[in-house]
Amino acid sequence: MNTILKLTLKFTLAVVIIFSAATLISDSVDIQGISTEHLSAEKPWVGADEYQYDPGQTVTPEKTLSSKVNWAILVFVVLMVLVLANAFDISKYTAKITGRETVNQNNVNKWIMLFFMIAGFAAVIWEYQTHGAMILLNDSSSAHGVDYDSMFTITLVLTTIVFFITQALLFYFSFRYAHQDGRKALYYSHNNRLEVVWTFIPAVVLTVLVLRGHQTWKSVVYAEDNYNGKMHSIEVFAYQFGWKARYAGDDGIMGNVDYKFISGKNELGLAYKPEVDSLVVDLKKQIAADEASIKNLNTTILDGLMADFTAAENLRDYKNMESVQKEIDAVKNGDRLDELKASIKRKTKQIERILAIQNDKKLFASTFTSAAMDDIITQEIHLAKDSLVTLNFRSKDIIHSAWLPHFRAQMNVVPGMPTKFTFRPTKSTEEAKKERGEEFEYYLYCNKICGVSHYNMKIKVVVESQEKVNEWLKSQQPAFIKREMAPVAPAIMNDTLKTSTDTIQKMVVR
Amino acid sequence: MSTATINDSHAVGHHGDAHGHDHHHQSFITKYIFSTDHKMISKQYLITGIIMGCLGMGMSLLFRLQLAWPDETFPFLETLLGKWAKGGKLDPNYYMALVTIHGTIMVFYVLTAGLSGTFSNLLIPLQVGARDMASPFMNMLSYWFFFLSSVVLMSSFLVETGPASSGWTVYPPLSALEKAMPGSGMGTTLWLVAIILFIVSALLGGINYITTVLNMRTKGMSMNRLPLTIWAFFLTAVLGLLSFPVLLGAGLLLIFDRSFGTSFYLSDIHLNGVGALSNSGGSPVLYQHLFWFLGHPEVYIILMPALGISSEVISTNARKPIFGYTAMVISLLGISFLSFIVWGHHMFITGMNPFLGTMFMYVTLIIAVPSAVKTFNYLATLWKGNIRFTPAMLFAIGLVSMFISGGLTGIYLGNAALDIQLHDSYFVVAHFHLVMGSASIFGMFAGIYHWFPKMYGRMMNKTLGSLHFWLTFISAYLVFFPMHFMGLAGVPRRYYQFSLIPEFNIWMDVNIFITLAAILGGIAQLLFLYNFFNSIFRGPKASKNPWESNTLEWSTETKHIHGNWEGDIPTVYRGPHEYSRPDRELDYFPQYEIGDGEPEHYHAPATAPDTSYDGKKEKATTVFFSSFAHLFSLRRA
Ligand code: HEM
Ligand SMILES: [Cu+2]
Ligand SMILES: [Cu+2]
Repeated sequence: MNTILKLTLKFTLAVVIIFSAATLISDSVDIQGISTEHLSAEKPWVGADEYQYDPGQTVTPEKTLSSKVNWAILVFVVLMVLVLANAFDISKYTAKITGRETVNQNNVNKWIMLFFMIAGFAAVIWEYQTHGAMILLNDSSSAHGVDYDSMFTITLVLTTIVFFITQALLFYFSFRYAHQDGRKALYYSHNNRLEVVWTFIPAVVLTVLVLRGHQTWKSVVYAEDNYNGKMHSIEVFAYQFGWKARYAGDDGIMGNVDYKFISGKNELGLAYKPEVDSLVVDLKKQIAADEASIKNLNTTILDGLMADFTAAENLRDYKNMESVQKEIDAVKNGDRLDELKASIKRKTKQIERILAIQNDKKLFASTFTSAAMDDIITQEIHLAKDSLVTLNFRSKDIIHSAWLPHFRAQMNVVPGMPTKFTFRPTKSTEEAKKERGEEFEYYLYCNKICGVSHYNMKIKVVVESQEKVNEWLKSQQPAFIKREMAPVAPAIMNDTLKTSTDTIQKMVVR
Repeated sequence: MSTATINDSHAVGHHGDAHGHDHHHQSFITKYIFSTDHKMISKQYLITGIIMGCLGMGMSLLFRLQLAWPDETFPFLETLLGKWAKGGKLDPNYYMALVTIHGTIMVFYVLTAGLSGTFSNLLIPLQVGARDMASPFMNMLSYWFFFLSSVVLMSSFLVETGPASSGWTVYPPLSALEKAMPGSGMGTTLWLVAIILFIVSALLGGINYITTVLNMRTKGMSMNRLPLTIWAFFLTAVLGLLSFPVLLGAGLLLIFDRSFGTSFYLSDIHLNGVGALSNSGGSPVLYQHLFWFLGHPEVYIILMPALGISSEVISTNARKPIFGYTAMVISLLGISFLSFIVWGHHMFITGMNPFLGTMFMYVTLIIAVPSAVKTFNYLATLWKGNIRFTPAMLFAIGLVSMFISGGLTGIYLGNAALDIQLHDSYFVVAHFHLVMGSASIFGMFAGIYHWFPKMYGRMMNKTLGSLHFWLTFISAYLVFFPMHFMGLAGVPRRYYQFSLIPEFNIWMDVNIFITLAAILGGIAQLLFLYNFFNSIFRGPKASKNPWESNTLEWSTETKHIHGNWEGDIPTVYRGPHEYSRPDRELDYFPQYEIGDGEPEHYHAPATAPDTSYDGKKEKATTVFFSSFAHLFSLRRA
């Protein structure tokens, strides 16, 4: 009697719960509907380095409605569990009452196995067709991309075949050989010939794949080896969070660069003497300021902070109070002092190293050539269609990765280590737009986690005719001189002069 | 007193009143907290692993919400995370932190410690026939280092600048420079401390597992009669022992770079808001070499125990010998060896010399061969079996399915040429979540369902178990399968939001779909939690050998005793997989049962003589020193 009472109670409870959950869900889905139209496809792109994440920006009143959906989901989750727990308790009670197991586990699972296999295969085929149509395959915009795509296709076909065969066997065996009373399994513990066969077959298939892969890899990484057409080289510079490209100016030579030369006005650290000199002056000023701060740390600075604190306190500006308090703490516990000392040390070292270059005659001559002056630094990468281009990568701060998915090209950008990727674009932006829609643009994305705006670190890539690239370059300003004054030949010129990246790469090779 | 007989032929060997178990008083602390009993330690690992798993899963749901509805606000997030979700919108820094800690928790805390820690501890002594681990005290330390490490890791959520956020691989310079991202401050320091504690724990555990397997097997338990679980745990421990110290080195160098101004990984850096750093001459790529020298073996440290467990579970429930025992062992050995020389496949496009890339491509594709052999052997084991779909069996079959699906994409990634495009895309995310994440979690569930009766003396609910399996299985495929296509379309991983790149907007529905599927998966885990904790207290009492299995652990009583067997440790007469032998009525033949015409005393001696275990409470110091004696004496009289 007791069990039946409990059972009825639980059943009622379950029904109530299911109904309330259903109502909640349907209500909220009505309000929201799941649409993607409002998503920010057209959101203007803010330059990545200025990009400050501001949650307030994107919240518009009608969007907060969806918070109901979330609550509904949450409530739903909890209810589902209660319902299921109840349902199973019910089956336990019915089992108790009727005295037998309500379902035959083996039978049920066996049929689900079969069903899962069929439904799963259908779903996989659907995926291949629907989402498979959205992938980048056989539409490469670079020469090696064609090889890449064919390598990919071979692997895709082979693995798909193996996938279907092995999964089919797995689920079919599970279905076919499910437990039956009175049947005994086959005692069959090994078969060495079989083992050899199925070691050998994958080995052969993989050998084929690896040999093909090796060829493709070689043709990609040594792209310039058997090439005698036009070649270009561009520097691609990565920083938190954006990219810049650098082209040699009219002289056709890339200027030298050094991370120690980087300053506000010389973002890429070009070896341009006047800028470097003013950087040294600047650094000296900063050191002096730091030293002054150290001297006044416990007197005027601390007093100033105290006054700020009191002012904030009077205004009841708690946020400000907190931040000022932090600064006061830093002064008192010595953190601020350590910071200042480290800063002085760092800057002194930087000056020392810059002067070491300037004071060494040979080094000076080979570093500060006039090649840097007319280098062109751009916010877009323009590539000439059908000529081989080497992107020389340099990072200002941490590791980034330059990914050009449409060109099947990717290379990490590592501070302190030059890297490069060479390829030949074969499809102009115009042509790509015809295939992919008017709004389409090529982009180079950052593909190595690099900080808060990693997801918005990209640079537009344009592929066009050589003439157009030249025209575009003409429209850009050289780094440190006005276009009209650009020298035709570098002022200091000797045989050993090389572009900076070349020298560095030589050093690495050695 | 002991009402049990071990089995017919061995009931004689009792020590009678020498047993002190029943009047052996343990306080709550020595029994449940600072326990040196391997079964208790195993439960501690399991519960901690489950808790960490819930946290990791919860984090993934939070960041999945962000990916599915990047423009929405979720007020409950602000309630939960405070300043990291102002206005109900997840902060990008916190998104990174969640991704990082999710990865770390799942890889190290759940699938390394939770899986291998639980089942190595439970099964090694029980299945090789030992009273306990070689060094119970070190075993206890191993757990407590793990516990401490978990606490330190989670405490990084309390730090003002947030937890480590540079990905679970914490590549420098990003992770080395406080000013590069907020999480690289105190958060990363705590991360590193946590990992160092974790490594200590893994090493203490590993030494123990290896010693126990090599030295403490019972009479008749030769290496070729070890259950495949033990082979897997053993090789896993060897991998860990050889590779974790390298991670320790990598971590220490990173600490030096962070705190003491060295330049192992740093060179030529000009940081926003700081200026040109003085560091020069270091190489960030060095860290990656060191990290992946652990990292690749680590993925097998995670997978191999799951494979071992599924071998045992499949053989038992298909009522068939595992097909090709020797081939299975050789495959495990092959995988173990090869996994030390393939790490470079994570680094094809780091700018490493392309020739090196070629070499790593060759060895990487070789490692796919033993993986394939294992799959075929599983299939052959199922063939003409008499399959019982216990929840454990379902999960083991699920593991094989996931292993196939994820393993096949390894063939793409191992191909250096193809990896140019696939590296760090969602394709990689799909690959490792199927082959490592899902497959190993399935192995862990298989283990929990299978050995729950041994751990808690009760049965888990089968129906709930089946339901748990199917929901998890379906949701795992729904979540990870579509990710392949996203990756192939050029969608990068570790992006906080895709809607700033117009081209990715076509994937918006898919992202929503994946998140919904993930929520379904989350619900399924609640079923498991309910079933697990409910069954601990209210499940029906288990019989001694509920699955009619062959291995030695099922010869022990359901009630746990210190020392595992009341009387002598049983002798082993044959391999672990003698199911459905045609010459027998029953379809199983326990390893410890003597058959007709078999010699009474098997000639292979025990590796460790059974120094009669009196169960007396030993002083901690005695245990400690004796455990070292155990450890270092390879041969004991
Ligand atoms: C069939 C054999 C396998 C091959 C050839 C293979 C190959 C690869 C390759 C080349 C990568 C690097 C992809 C990239 O970052 O660009 C990778 C990533 C990964 N693989 Fe596998 N894999 C195989 C099996 C496995 C197994 C069995 C596991 C785990 C049990 C695993 C776990 C992982 C993980 C965790 C990553 C991602 C690491 C990260 O970047 O966060 N793989 N795999
Ligand atoms: Cu970046
Ligand atoms: Cu790997």
